[in-house]
Amino acid sequence: MKNNYIIYLENIETIYEGEKLPVIQNINLKIKSGEFIAIIGPNGAGKTTLLETINGLLPYTSGKGFVYGKEVIKNKLDIRKETGYLIQNFEIDPQTPFLCKDIVMSGRSGKIGIFKLTTKKDWEKVWYSMGLVGMIDFANRPVGKLSGGEFQKILLARVLAQQPRILLLDEPFSNLDFTSKIQIETLLNRIHEKHNITVVIVSHDLSFVPSSCDRIIVMEKGHIIMDDAKENILSSEKIDNIFQNGVLK
Amino acid sequence: MISLPWFIILPSIIGAILAGFACSTMGAFVVRMNLASIGVAMSHAAFAGAAFGVMMGFDPTITAIIFSFGTALVIGPLAEKARLQSNIIIGFIFSIMIALAFIFLNYAPGEAAKGSALNILWGNILYIDFNDSLLLLFLSFFVMIFIFVFYKELISLLFNRKLAEASGINTKIFYFSILFLTGFAVALSLKLVGGLLVFALIINPTSTAYQFFYDYKKILIFSPLIGIISCLIGFYLSLMVDFPIGASIVIVTTIFFAIAIYVSPKRYKGN
Ligand SMILES: Nc1ncnc2c1ncn2[C@@H]1O[C@H](COP(=O)(O)OP(=O)(O)OP(=O)(O)O)[C@@H](O)[C@H]1O
Ligand SMILES: [Mg+2]
Repeated sequence: MKNNYIIYLENIETIYEGEKLPVIQNINLKIKSGEFIAIIGPNGAGKTTLLETINGLLPYTSGKGFVYGKEVIKNKLDIRKETGYLIQNFEIDPQTPFLCKDIVMSGRSGKIGIFKLTTKKDWEKVWYSMGLVGMIDFANRPVGKLSGGEFQKILLARVLAQQPRILLLDEPFSNLDFTSKIQIETLLNRIHEKHNITVVIVSHDLSFVPSSCDRIIVMEKGHIIMDDAKENILSSEKIDNIFQNGVLK
Repeated sequence: MISLPWFIILPSIIGAILAGFACSTMGAFVVRMNLASIGVAMSHAAFAGAAFGVMMGFDPTITAIIFSFGTALVIGPLAEKARLQSNIIIGFIFSIMIALAFIFLNYAPGEAAKGSALNILWGNILYIDFNDSLLLLFLSFFVMIFIFVFYKELISLLFNRKLAEASGINTKIFYFSILFLTGFAVALSLKLVGGLLVFALIINPTSTAYQFFYDYKKILIFSPLIGIISCLIGFYLSLMVDFPIGASIVIVTTIFFAIAIYVSPKRYKGN
């Protein structure tokens, strides 16, 4: 039953506007509340497309999709308010005239609700999540002046400030140095355990699947080709054809 | 120096302040959201609309609003989905609207109408009447309330539309609200600044503010401030040396912009 799953996709197919061929097809994906999932696959496999289909940024062209038991097509805004989405390789102009704290607050802008002003409580959430990613000192700095990794952490703080039920993270470790990777991995593990958030991360790197992750989905050419417990995937032979020493061929 | 009694000057000064406020506040959205080309198209449509009003003997402010809204309705959705490139919008709409405006003005009946036609082209301080100022006042209030009530949504949208959409904001409503408010500001300021130059009052003050600040809140405050000051100085110049008011205001905004680029700590190229 679709109500037993926090994300429930049935025979989903997504075609980009103006294109003829679907980028992802026959997607059947059932995720229970509180799962920690990694989606891996080569460039162009359709990982980003899948994430954006889940939160309704891209409309699916056939099949059925439910998130929180609500049909995605009809409840996009409600679903997104409860779903944090970290965009892959988001680039900004160094002159961008926005302060980090305002960007982090903007994560809550939908959730707070229309006709409501931001309150002290909202700001506390902002400070708290900036603290979690270790970026509290950057609150009043312009976002354009950050390094790639620092900006990545601000974007992560932005989705954490939203206090979502589901976190969709597209390559959260890209741009991060080794220390920051460990730091963010630990953070994700902790948030997942403490708040029982459902986490879906997209990653290139098999060696960097967070320890809390219990299930791995492998995508290739728009299809889900494997979907199993982490240990099974990591020990499967098929995976060696796609990865070499944990890194994509 | 032209000397005029205060009861003629005062409504015009108020009109100038409000036009500066409304246009330059909307500019802060237009510049950041890359709406410049659609804004140019809308302001020239407003110009053609005003010319149409003069030809038909209607209130040009009303027809200007109708034309610029029509343009927003037609090309807004196309520009939104990036189905229409901005140079096409400029090249096509801009030229057709100017052509239409000149045809309408050519057929304006009688001397009085010819006079209003020129006012619409160049702007005229004394052409702003009580009703226009009242409408501008309403618009300015409305814009202030709009920004105050929807501040968090607007900041989110101004930073990045896709991120705003992803956090659950209905960005389409805000996109079109901003287009229509810009259309209003342009149409109501047309008589003061003139149809050919009104768009400079939208773009220049924000581009000037952009040179100095890294915090959008400050751009939202300083952009209208620079707009108002430009309008007042332009107004004064126009009285002192008998410049056409529109040209005079636009030259002031351009000088501010040039100085800003020169002294800017950011050296931002503007838009
Ligand atoms: N806006 C678009 N219009 C048309 N096709 C697109 C668009 N965006 C992506 N695609 C196509 O969809 C396919 C899947 O893209 P997607 O971004 O989902 O891949 P990905 O698995 O996230 O890859 P990567 O690892 O490089 O991020 C690609 O072949 C790409 O060419
Ligand atoms: Mg991707």
